[in-house]
Amino acid sequence: MGFLDNSGDIILDVVLTDLGRQLLAKGDGSFNVAKFALGDDEIDYALYDNTNASGSSYYDLQILQTPVLEAFTDNAASMKNKLLTIENQNLLFLPVTKLNQAIATTKLHPSGAFFVAVDRNTEDNSNNSLTSSVAFDSEGLLRQGFILGESLGAGRESSNYIRVDQGLDTTQVSPRQNLDPDLIETEYMIQIDNRLGSIVSRDGVIRAVPDSIDDDNIAYYSFSQGTDQQFVFVNTSTENSVNEVIAGPRGTILEFSIGASLELNTSTYLFSQLGSTTQLPNQTSGNTTTTKFIDSIVKVTGMTTGYSIDVPVRFVKI
Amino acid sequence: MASTFKDIKPSDRVSTRTLLHEAIPITGTIVSGTYGTFPNEDNIKNFSHGMFQSVYDYPYLSSSANHIFDITCGYSSDSPLFDASYTQNSKKRNIYNQMAQVCVGYDITGSVLRFDEDGDILAGGAKIKEGYFLNFTRLLVKDEIKKGTVSLTVGVTASYSAPMGETVTITDAGGVNDYRVNSPVGEYGVLYASGSSVDSSVTSSTYNAAPCGLVYYQAGVMVLSASLFKDITDGGILTDANGTSEMNTSGESIVAALTGSEISGNADNLRHRIQNIQFNNTVELNSTIYFCRANHNEFNYSSNPTYLSSSQIRVKQISSDEPISYITTVGLYSENNELLAVGKLSEPLKKTPANEFTIRARLDY
Repeated sequence: MGFLDNSGDIILDVVLTDLGRQLLAKGDGSFNVAKFALGDDEIDYALYDNTNASGSSYYDLQILQTPVLEAFTDNAASMKNKLLTIENQNLLFLPVTKLNQAIATTKLHPSGAFFVAVDRNTEDNSNNSLTSSVAFDSEGLLRQGFILGESLGAGRESSNYIRVDQGLDTTQVSPRQNLDPDLIETEYMIQIDNRLGSIVSRDGVIRAVPDSIDDDNIAYYSFSQGTDQQFVFVNTSTENSVNEVIAGPRGTILEFSIGASLELNTSTYLFSQLGSTTQLPNQTSGNTTTTKFIDSIVKVTGMTTGYSIDVPVRFVKI
Repeated sequence: MASTFKDIKPSDRVSTRTLLHEAIPITGTIVSGTYGTFPNEDNIKNFSHGMFQSVYDYPYLSSSANHIFDITCGYSSDSPLFDASYTQNSKKRNIYNQMAQVCVGYDITGSVLRFDEDGDILAGGAKIKEGYFLNFTRLLVKDEIKKGTVSLTVGVTASYSAPMGETVTITDAGGVNDYRVNSPVGEYGVLYASGSSVDSSVTSSTYNAAPCGLVYYQAGVMVLSASLFKDITDGGILTDANGTSEMNTSGESIVAALTGSEISGNADNLRHRIQNIQFNNTVELNSTIYFCRANHNEFNYSSNPTYLSSSQIRVKQISSDEPISYITTVGLYSENNELLAVGKLSEPLKKTPANEFTIRARLDY
């Protein structure tokens, strides 16, 4: 997309998204604009210079000169960062959502992503007298950052999972302080490519049902405190410990895991279309297995504050 | 409670209808002579069925070529030209009947009506029994030709070799107010030819020009009477001093050409004499406008990751400082939080508790 002409009057370039066009084409009344949100996707607030010696008029000079791109028609590519309405105009701190990597079972793989083994053969094939599987090491321990994408359900409690913590990540406010109730995330939305995987509870017992799947195969899941107790709960810890990644007052915790899609589980088609191959250590010490992989992103958004993080995920299959 | 969405109330939504116009100039150089040697230019497409000829704005084998209009011709079965011995006689009659039944319609017995010179079908009067049909594509016409904007310049010199020595200007004079509505395909106006070569005995006192055809605004069809190229003595509108135009290299009149040449040859003859075609089109835009109102105490914070540094708001030094955000994007959502439309501002808008914005997002259909 090009930049919009910003030399004259302020103009607004509005387009229907691909999803909007799809709903409009259905003709069943599902295209109904009910609300709006404002975003600031291009803005880098680090450019705000409140120490500029020339005065306050210069604090945001660079921000106001930011060129703005034309609108994207992909509904998943726009409105990444929304503006917030909060009654209290005197807040100095706002909560963030943060990937918790302080716990051994919630750490990313050393490569910088969660690895989802999409079938049993990739998870552990030692019961077939093979050692080419990649999720477990030579001592039979689950490798850091590996999620078992097929072996869901009971007996999986010790498996790795994804944990997102919310709160004020600052040392200037004690974690013993309560987080303003207005700023506590009570609902999260998770977006994942539905062709690749689905969201399950951390123990794999509960398979969540997506609220919707858009035209780009992005599945939208929502989880609420109270309703989805296996996924969202209050962080009651008020002390700084090795398991906490939020330094200040804490809100809620979101925990989930990923199940592999049937397509990835049973076929290599998408790996050929979207992925590549790499060498991963297998269950024989010092040996590797050529492994197919697809890199993707799971987006977690707090529905109260709009704060979001992208969790990198690699789906692997030997 | 913090929120990122604001409901759009019924009072924040309004539907409007706007008419947009574009000027469509078609120069004679596109119609003939630019993309090859007349009459075999690369932007002119003839078909094996021989019923019409298509004009493109670029060699038609190119993917970037646009089809702009078609030329065909024909005559009524009660025309003196209708005779089975003539070239493509039935095809020319069929073309006339097809255009007439679409544009003029039928009488109470189901018979196809003929094109009427002044549009007053009930009064009888002169009929256009032989003529050319210019069918403009939807790409050019869009929803309709704007009334009162049609202008064609056509060479009428008697000599074939220098066709533009004498020209007539054909317009839908008075089309803005003086148009007809008794056609099955919408509104139409009468085309009038003016110029020194038009005989004053056939000019309308109202427009000081001679009726020579019809323009159907919504259908994008122009009908040009064969009388345009005939002098008074031959039953046309040109002065005898100007004489009847020679339509082809053989020096044939339009009567001889219509009877003796194929439709494609007659289309070539007309292209040879088109100097310019111009009109304005009209697009009817139905719009819904959503007024997105950001009040003073709304949208002053951001979820942008760069908004915070160690959870502290970058644009504040102390808590009593005003929160500031910058608006670049407006998203319109469904009840289920599905992003239906997105709008981008050409420059960031600074939002603080000291200001309010109403952003007007218009969706056109």
